[in-house]
Amino acid sequence: MIEFRDVTVIYDNDIVGLENVSFKIDDGEFVFLVGKTGAGKSSAIKLMTGEIKPFAGDVILNGVTVNTLKPKKLPYLRRSVGVVFQDFRLLNNKTVYENVAFAMEVVRASKKEIRRKVPTILSLVGLTGRAQNYPGELSGGEQQRVCIARALVNSPAIVIADEPTGNLDVETADEIMKLLMEINRMGTTIVMVTHSEKIVNDAHRRVIQLESGVVVRDEAEGGYSCVPS
Amino acid sequence: MYPLKTAFSSLGRNAMMTLASIVTIACCLFLLGVFLLITFNINYIGSQVSEKCELQAYINEWTSDLGEERILKEISALPNVDTAEFESKEQAFENARAMGEEMDEALEGMEGEDIFRSSVKVTLKDLTLADETAAQMAAVSGVAKVNNRRDIIRKVISVTNVIRIGSLIAMLILVLTAIFIIRNTIELSVHAREEEIHIMKFVGATDSFIRRPFVMEGIIVGLIGAAIAITVIAFGYSALALHAESLRDVKIYSFSETAAPLIVGVLAFGLLMGGVGSRAAVKRHLKV
Repeated sequence: MIEFRDVTVIYDNDIVGLENVSFKIDDGEFVFLVGKTGAGKSSAIKLMTGEIKPFAGDVILNGVTVNTLKPKKLPYLRRSVGVVFQDFRLLNNKTVYENVAFAMEVVRASKKEIRRKVPTILSLVGLTGRAQNYPGELSGGEQQRVCIARALVNSPAIVIADEPTGNLDVETADEIMKLLMEINRMGTTIVMVTHSEKIVNDAHRRVIQLESGVVVRDEAEGGYSCVPS
Repeated sequence: MYPLKTAFSSLGRNAMMTLASIVTIACCLFLLGVFLLITFNINYIGSQVSEKCELQAYINEWTSDLGEERILKEISALPNVDTAEFESKEQAFENARAMGEEMDEALEGMEGEDIFRSSVKVTLKDLTLADETAAQMAAVSGVAKVNNRRDIIRKVISVTNVIRIGSLIAMLILVLTAIFIIRNTIELSVHAREEEIHIMKFVGATDSFIRRPFVMEGIIVGLIGAAIAITVIAFGYSALALHAESLRDVKIYSFSETAAPLIVGVLAFGLLMGGVGSRAAVKRHLKV
């Protein structure tokens, strides 16, 4: 569960990132976070991953208030949140298998567990045959699948996808969306930031729209834009 | 295993920079070792010189043999007195004649005359308390005068103190320089692996887990530098100590006498500098 309670973010240069934002995302939901550049989407994502702290209000993830969490406890919270980046952020000197295994190594999973889990996740994202390839040998869609596999391998309850289809063509973007929907069906909460009208309109999922740091729309099965009344 | 493996592969990746750092650290630690040896030997030479800086209590002419014995006992019992030796008039006369041909000629035929006085010669445990001890000796009944070589004693104390403080300041500067060098080397590794660190943070790696390979890297550089420095010092100092054996008035430690504290000291500094330098290099990059 993710909850924002009257959250305000003010940056050092006095720019307001979010202003009195409140919303609640239940376990297992698939939520789109939409809005123009500078609307506050990135601030919301950064609050969820503990990268920034709110000026006022509380951010609660799985029952833990992120903003009051001691820095030493933050890594443990992050293990329950998988992050998918628009630019994939894969390690080019590691194979697909190693990139995914790396996420398990850093949380000190046993070798046995890594050997068991990585092939399963790679199979889930459809990359079994690409395990020994390096990121440079993969297409954009495949690289994003590796990124999703890495985000999922530690079995997080929440996946935050920051424009995961932003660098992909329409067809590949559709494939990635199908994969994310599948992961959501398996019980993982997904918060996805996107600028793609098509993806939001096709998905018929909850949409939270931000404008100038304020929630202007929160619809259960919304489209990308407000439906004029 | 992960931190060690990562540390070695990272050192290999920046081979030239690593080599340059090791050489620079070795130079710093060499100088640091030299200053350590200077400090050890200053204390040693100081104690030798202090043995030579004795106080002398002259005894009243009319004091009996028994009285002289009592004076020797009372002076020996003073807290800062290391050794106390009685010198009779006759011994003083003979010692004076033995000082050189001119003195011998001057004193010829004067045997039996009361030129010299009996005295008690004293070496001190702590030179800085020479004035107090001289006063205590003068207060012993039967002591006519105490010859306090205050100027020499003060000079010895101030010279050894200046060298000691100078060495400490030089060592501090060297340590800071070495930490700065190690920090820069590790900073290069950190830059090369910035993306990796970022990903590690996002998947929930703890700061200590991220920091460990870098700290290990710094420690490896520090320890290799220390090993080189110790080797060079061992050869250099052994040769110097061999030369110093011919010196008449002062002795310096042999290498084997200083080996244990020197090796432990230089290795500890290498370890410390590696650890502190690399921690400083990573710190800024952990704030994600």
